[in-house]
Amino acid sequence: MTVLVPLVVIAAVAVFIVLGSRRLAQREGPALRPLAGYTALKGQVGRAIESASKLHISLGRASLTGTASPTSVAALAVLQRLAEDGCANNTPPITTVGDGTLLPLAENNLRQAAEDAKSTVGIPPGTVRFIASRTDPFAYAGGVASVIQQQKILGNVMVGHFGQELAIVAEVAGRNQVQQTIGSDDPLALAVAVPVTDNIMIGEELLAAPAYLQGKPHQIASLQVQDILRILLSLTILGLAVYRVVAG
Amino acid sequence: MFRRGLPLTIAILFGVLTLISLLFAISEIGNLILEWASFLAAIALLLGAINLFSVHAQRMAANRPVGGQNLYSAVLVISMVIVFGLGLTDLLDITNNSMALVFAWVQAPLEAALASLLAFFLLLSGIRLLQRQRTVSSILFLVTAVLILLSNALIVSPLLPSGVSTLLQQLRDFIQNIIVTSGVRGILLGIALGAITLSIRLLLGLERPYTK
Repeated sequence: MTVLVPLVVIAAVAVFIVLGSRRLAQREGPALRPLAGYTALKGQVGRAIESASKLHISLGRASLTGTASPTSVAALAVLQRLAEDGCANNTPPITTVGDGTLLPLAENNLRQAAEDAKSTVGIPPGTVRFIASRTDPFAYAGGVASVIQQQKILGNVMVGHFGQELAIVAEVAGRNQVQQTIGSDDPLALAVAVPVTDNIMIGEELLAAPAYLQGKPHQIASLQVQDILRILLSLTILGLAVYRVVAG
Repeated sequence: MFRRGLPLTIAILFGVLTLISLLFAISEIGNLILEWASFLAAIALLLGAINLFSVHAQRMAANRPVGGQNLYSAVLVISMVIVFGLGLTDLLDITNNSMALVFAWVQAPLEAALASLLAFFLLLSGIRLLQRQRTVSSILFLVTAVLILLSNALIVSPLLPSGVSTLLQQLRDFIQNIIVTSGVRGILLGIALGAITLSIRLLLGLERPYTK
């Protein structure tokens, strides 16, 4: 029984995503509600290109072999979009990572984007930087802060798994008047981000990055399934709460 | 075809194997995959260290010093070399526990100092937020931050009358246990749902961060 429940849930979600994506492939999908973080992201790319400045993107400290790996996958989707736009204008974003497993994927994303855009400058050495191991959050924050301070950066995009150390980076970026977009799966990091910027991707909004930035049918179908699950879960919690009150 | 198909097949195979091992509690498969993943993560960490060293060594050697960048990079490269040397001398029993001493006397105090600045940064950000936009939520943010900081500091003070101390404690507990916890749980539930659907897309091979 204990095995059956998760198995059924996984199978049902998988079936709904596949069916939903087939349906969406045949017709136009629903319009996604605008999220401040993604709107700001598009604006930042445009401004960076106009002013020949660079963007900095930090992918956080979540290992691809750990439990927070979906957050890193979503962060890589954001990087891919910034890399495509940046490389098309010979300004690839400076990318910092806080875990070794993210380094090859980040480099691969940038190289692929440079190849696709037939970039004349390619990816200069030092564009992708490993800062510190994920076990040293403050060393990571210090390293990222120094990158922001030393480079001519127009926008700072921090997407991935961060903790409260994000306050240090955000403070430095704020002092340098760098526009910021922050997305994290850690409520502590989000609490720190709220006073710093309006462009925040709160938890699941960050995980929706592939749907917002690539917009493939299966990604949008996945968001629809997620919405249905959320309603079911909310109703279950509400029902259980009412039951407990009534039952005494 | 082969370039795209092989990584996809490997990813799906290992994803399904891990899922089976977790659902049916077959620890042998799970542990084996975890060992391989840990090995790969260790190699990735080594690559990261090499990347860090090469980036800063290049900057150190650059002819165009910009804002003291070369100095910082030089400090980093020299520190890396020293710690690596200490690791070797520890390994060869020339020195004893010197790497642990470096961590205890240099890294730990530095990280603790940065951590202690967090509350200050947060308060400062709250004040800046209020300067930027005077909305109800920004006022609420600053008032709550000040209230929690003050209550944490004052509750233990013997100078405060016990009635006020109890009131502050109740207020702090209400904010932390009811308001904050409910908000955090809402965020975590959303993240869990997002992670589930994203993981299933990865398992189905619909999402491929490893290949375009």
